[in-house]
Amino acid sequence: MKNKIKYIISFCLCSMLTISCDKELLTPIPQTSITDITSFDTPERVANQARSMYSALKNGNFYGGRYIAYGDIRGEDFINETTNGVTGFDVWNLNPTGTSQNSVKNLWSQAYYTINLCNLFIDGMAAKGTAVVGSTLSANYLGEAMLIRALSYYSLLQYYARPFADGSGSKPGLPLRLTGIKGSGSSDLARSTVAQVYTQILSDLNFAETNLPLTNVAAENTTRAHRNTAIALKTRVYLSMQNYASVITEANKIVAQSVAPFSATSGVLHALQPSITTIFLTNYVTTESIFSLPMTVTGGDNPGTQNQLGLYFVRNGASLGAAEYSLNASGIIANAGWTAADVRRASLIFTNPTTLKQFVSKYQNGSPYLDYPPVIRYAEVLLNLAEAIARTTAGVDAKALALVNAVRKRSDPATTIVATTQQQLIDAIMLERRIEFLGEGLRNNDLMRLLQTIPAKGSVPAKTPSETGYIWPISSDELSLNRLMTDN
Amino acid sequence: MRKLILIVSAVFVFTLQAAAQNRTITGKVTDEKALPVEGVSITTPNGKQGTQTEKDGSYSISVPASAKSLIFSIVNFESQTKTLGANLVINVSLKTRDIKLDEVVVVGYGTQKKREVTGSLSSVKGAAVADKPVQSFEQALAGRATGVQITIPNGVLNTPPVFRIRGTSSLSLSSYPLIIIDGIPSPVGDFSSTSAAGNALASINPNDIESIDIAKDAAATAIYGSRAANGVVFITTKKGKSGKAKINYNASFGFTSVYGVPEVLNAQQYTDYKNQAIANNQNLNPVTNRFNLTNGPDGKPIDTKWADYVYRQGFAQDHNLNISGANETTSYYFSAGYTKQEGIVRSNDFVRKNILMNVDSRFNKHVTIGGKISYSNELNLANQSTGSLSGEGFGTAGLGRTQFVTAPNISPYKNDGTYNISSAGNFIGGMNNTFAQVGFYNPVVGLDLNRQNSETNHIQSNVYLVYKPFNWLTLKSIYGIDYLFVDNEIFASPVHGDGFAGIGSATSTLGKYKRWTWANTAQLDYTIKQKHSISALIGQEQDRRTSRGFGINRTQVSDPVFNVLQAGWLLNNSAGSVHGENYLKSLFGRLNYDFNKKYFISGNLRQDEYSAFPGQKATFWGFSAGWNLNNEKFWGRMKNVFSSFRLHSSYGKVGNNSIGDYDTYSQYGPGIYGGNSTLTFSQAGNNKLKWETSKKFDAGINFGILNERINVEASYFKNNITDLILRVPQAPSTGLPNAIPINVGKMYNKGVEIALNLIPVQKKEFVWSINFNYTNIQNRITELAPGLTEVLTATSGLETVNRTAVGQSMGSLWLVRTTGVDPATGSRVLLNQLGNRVLYRFAPGPGQFNWSNEDGTQYKKADGSANTINQTADAVMYNALPKYYGGLTNNFRYKNFDLDVLLTYQGGNYVYYGSWSGLHDQRFWNNHVDVLNAWKKFGDISSVPRPVYGDNLSNGSALPMTYSLFKGDFIKIKNVSLGYTVPADALKRLKISNARFYVSGQNLFIFSNYPGPDPEVSSNGNATSGQGVDRNTIANGRTITVGLNVGF
Repeated sequence: MKNKIKYIISFCLCSMLTISCDKELLTPIPQTSITDITSFDTPERVANQARSMYSALKNGNFYGGRYIAYGDIRGEDFINETTNGVTGFDVWNLNPTGTSQNSVKNLWSQAYYTINLCNLFIDGMAAKGTAVVGSTLSANYLGEAMLIRALSYYSLLQYYARPFADGSGSKPGLPLRLTGIKGSGSSDLARSTVAQVYTQILSDLNFAETNLPLTNVAAENTTRAHRNTAIALKTRVYLSMQNYASVITEANKIVAQSVAPFSATSGVLHALQPSITTIFLTNYVTTESIFSLPMTVTGGDNPGTQNQLGLYFVRNGASLGAAEYSLNASGIIANAGWTAADVRRASLIFTNPTTLKQFVSKYQNGSPYLDYPPVIRYAEVLLNLAEAIARTTAGVDAKALALVNAVRKRSDPATTIVATTQQQLIDAIMLERRIEFLGEGLRNNDLMRLLQTIPAKGSVPAKTPSETGYIWPISSDELSLNRLMTDN
Repeated sequence: MRKLILIVSAVFVFTLQAAAQNRTITGKVTDEKALPVEGVSITTPNGKQGTQTEKDGSYSISVPASAKSLIFSIVNFESQTKTLGANLVINVSLKTRDIKLDEVVVVGYGTQKKREVTGSLSSVKGAAVADKPVQSFEQALAGRATGVQITIPNGVLNTPPVFRIRGTSSLSLSSYPLIIIDGIPSPVGDFSSTSAAGNALASINPNDIESIDIAKDAAATAIYGSRAANGVVFITTKKGKSGKAKINYNASFGFTSVYGVPEVLNAQQYTDYKNQAIANNQNLNPVTNRFNLTNGPDGKPIDTKWADYVYRQGFAQDHNLNISGANETTSYYFSAGYTKQEGIVRSNDFVRKNILMNVDSRFNKHVTIGGKISYSNELNLANQSTGSLSGEGFGTAGLGRTQFVTAPNISPYKNDGTYNISSAGNFIGGMNNTFAQVGFYNPVVGLDLNRQNSETNHIQSNVYLVYKPFNWLTLKSIYGIDYLFVDNEIFASPVHGDGFAGIGSATSTLGKYKRWTWANTAQLDYTIKQKHSISALIGQEQDRRTSRGFGINRTQVSDPVFNVLQAGWLLNNSAGSVHGENYLKSLFGRLNYDFNKKYFISGNLRQDEYSAFPGQKATFWGFSAGWNLNNEKFWGRMKNVFSSFRLHSSYGKVGNNSIGDYDTYSQYGPGIYGGNSTLTFSQAGNNKLKWETSKKFDAGINFGILNERINVEASYFKNNITDLILRVPQAPSTGLPNAIPINVGKMYNKGVEIALNLIPVQKKEFVWSINFNYTNIQNRITELAPGLTEVLTATSGLETVNRTAVGQSMGSLWLVRTTGVDPATGSRVLLNQLGNRVLYRFAPGPGQFNWSNEDGTQYKKADGSANTINQTADAVMYNALPKYYGGLTNNFRYKNFDLDVLLTYQGGNYVYYGSWSGLHDQRFWNNHVDVLNAWKKFGDISSVPRPVYGDNLSNGSALPMTYSLFKGDFIKIKNVSLGYTVPADALKRLKISNARFYVSGQNLFIFSNYPGPDPEVSSNGNATSGQGVDRNTIANGRTITVGLNVGF
């Protein structure tokens, strides 16, 4: 009898061994993200994905900060203050290596991450998204994707490939990736030529021009692309290819007048603001800012540590005049023609009262550094047009002169730029670019497209176009993982 | 089956016999030397009657007439059963138990006699890790067990050591062993999110540990299936021992100080040397760029030894009180501990308060219930990052670096007594030096004002029920919880340092890591004809973990006086978000069989289903066999030579499942763009992912000579690991957000282990015992993913010196070779891949080049373009994993004195001393004193190149080079402990049963050619493929402790 009880108890206990578990516990679903198969299921998800491409572009390693900063510190107008390898010391020194994580590797991977998001989005729209949001909205979104992809490829070319001018784009360009990648096995892809990449960039921008809306809701005319954004970027791209005729064609679409004041007359009505300080200090989203990237205090929606333009150029936290880079006393700041009254000197240069060092103060906001990094603004379109005309027209072209004076006189009404030869005009325009876009990342691209020697600064010697380090090496990760990749 | 029931019934009937008549048996129990034994438990076989012997060994017990025998048992003696006859006086002489042979080891879900184990196990007594100046037990395991490698990565308190059993068994998953504490798996690793490390295993007070059993081969670990690839460590906490309640109190007090701090230039030397470097840089104007001394408040030039501000002598105290005891049915162990340790770095403290209660009660002959409650509160405190934890190496605030790079000719304080901060606020002030920056942060400000604290509350508890309906059947159910709550609290002052840019920053996060485990087992033990012993186990286990974390980061303090999170701040952001869950469901079994204690075979099987690999099942297994030759007839006279002689071998398959909860999924994560929400492709998953597989082979021999006074254990092992989960990096141009986890890649670890236990002297008053262990190990990567030639591992995301490639050992150091300094020019000489000498010159003058051949011509590529030396083309690999390691313990006992000396050693590996590069950097960084011998003029032979201000390549900062590579071989006097046990007579009047005083020293001395503080170091913590790097890491401390153990 007692044995029987023991067996029964034993049996009951043993049966606990076979207790079936909760199947749901074995197949948990992530609660903080969306699985890829459902990522295009609703109009909201598609809209959120469209914005994610901008977010990637806005990353601190890319247009949110570093890309723009590198464009300036490679040039001759800045002096490194901190010798910090994390904040571009090697970039400034013109000697980053393929293993330089913060510069060479991070910019490369962030730009391609942005490109892949665009590609995935383009693919996903074709597969499902267009049906979810309808063809009109879909075309707008695709235009944005194409534009961001084009801008990313363009930006990469400026650092990792020989300028177009070196052999008319025949030199090795970039691996040209046009379909979205979600898994392994796609690493190997050879470099297309520089010209081939530019062709793709222009194809994307042309698509964007056709499919983007003429205008966005007002608040997003600066922070999201519209038709004129594509056109403006094309003036920059053609200028880098020294295709001046096309610069003129594109620019004329949004520079309708032959004499000042200049403005766009369709789409978003771009025009210079009366004061340049407005667009940096007061209102980031005027019609002059064709494309800038918005920042907010929320974590992840601002540049992040050691990426902020403000940190590079003017301030560290509460301290104005304590940036990573000061202005080179013998750089553009020494230019005598740039008068003290010029608003760009009077209001956008900060002199540290103690050290007397000077800093570009276009990005004055302290932590968490919410200045909108400018991607392109109308002043550049004007100067792109002026330069294209000047370089292709003998003598001193009146419109070109008017364009450069429009930019100068906006900030320095008392000064009028005069030129008596074509070369003088070109020089004046190039000088104006250095002054106008100081701290906006265009200097490197200007040196590159003209195959000019990078001038010496501080302890860094000049770098001729034939020297190692004139362009960046390729990311060592790319070289080791993409068997078809070649180094510079 | 029928036979079985018959036998069972017989036993049953026997136990049921009861009678009304009682009689009283008396007698005396003595040991082999006829001395009385107190506390011997005397019971009838059914356990219904029982008593204990008195102090003089006498006893008296009243038993029913039906009782046929009495069982005499006590710890450390062999039990005896005396048949009851007519005689009412039974005197018993107990034989001391041969502990060696009867030692029991914990195996999964049970125990086994050590001599019957056919798997490969190492056991360490709790005493070996008790009373040591450590925060967690595994820090004290170094050198104690064969096959076990422990590396203390730095001197930050409570850093999890690098813990490897028979090598590194994974490349991208954890290589930390599975830790089972009293049957329940424990979390491992650093759970702190601050710069104060928080090892989860620190919750176990080392003084509460009875034994540590380390399972190494497949046979011993397969019962843990998919979690067993890194080995399994069983921790058994103390339980009460039979006898009266015993009270033990331990207290110790110690001092810790740093050793091996690099010697740097003083203010005058620094100023002169840097000015020379400026003069050597033709691009710099030596008038406007100048280093200058500054007079301090005393009117004398400032000469600051920064290390003195960072390091301190730390005081430690440790108190443990425990009460334990047991009667025939119930045993209990209650312990409370308090420890407060100050680290060598100012403000780095560890405080633990813990209690442990173990209770086991035999309810009746069939039912035992018990359980434990363990609660621990740990404070891991620091004010400032030391730069020593994994990922911190290049942090600006890192004290490991600031203490040697900051200019010595400036002071932490201005002459008016305020902090010396540059006018810009971001760096320490330059004083009279013309450079804006001559240091990173002023380390004193952070040490004074900041906080990096982490508080752990850890509850580990279990309850179990054992039902033993028949002698041959044991049913057990155990349910345990492990709740780990971590409060992280970070404050960065707006005055200076990390908090400066954000105008102050305060972060608090709470992490809640909860686990429950429920295991049910049925064990059958059966012996047929006293020759065939069968033991079978089947079981089922569920293991469920959830993790939740949340918190807030607040910046821009509204008033500089505020330094807590709850005060006034302008910006608020979420921080520390964690949301995860996983679930492991398993069935397992074991079968042990031995024939006549001669032949042993054992098989283990486990089937796992794990939520992180949804929809998959995997089976793991291990088989082993052992042969006890000493029990063979043909062994004959060899029995006179060997007191034991066993051969054993095993083979099996185990796994590693330590991937993220959702790694198989491709996911889109939420984000934000200009205040609007986004959805971004955030994770490329792999739904074909499965367990990593380790196939382990082991063959060994154990033998003893001279009644085990010489005992040798030797084994060969080979562990073939396949389906390695590699986060296979795709070319960055694919634009994937992450490296995709894929089961590719193969490697092996193979080697030999030898343990030697000797007792050279065994006399009554003097005993000398030696334990020597040696492990030789080789790791080889045999396959990576197709097309993947290398896996690079960066230190602190900045410097890549670890490279994993086929044909090499994991994470080998990958450096450009240097061969000193060119006597003609003082330039650094590097070797390209062909071994050709290439000179580097910073700031070359006209007609000179950065990179030149020895004749001064430009170093060019084949196509005539300028060439450089770089890692990709020119670096060579050096193994970072030790080829051998082990320990030597000498234990002496002379009269009342005992002395324990532990030496640890390892070798055959290289260490990249990245700090050495930093110590020779020609930016503002202060330099090692050996730069005083730098190249000065034509013909000088020196290891230090001509200094050129701004040069950060010749020293290795910008290009990792063998200039900073050193052999990692060392022998360390790890621990010496000298104790004196007060004679019992002297204590009697004080009613103290035992008392021992001791003094011990930890990390007393290192024999090594390594120029850094300690070659036992890891800047990348437990990173599998990032070992052998010493980059800006603070050294370990040397501790002298005095202590007292008293028992009542």
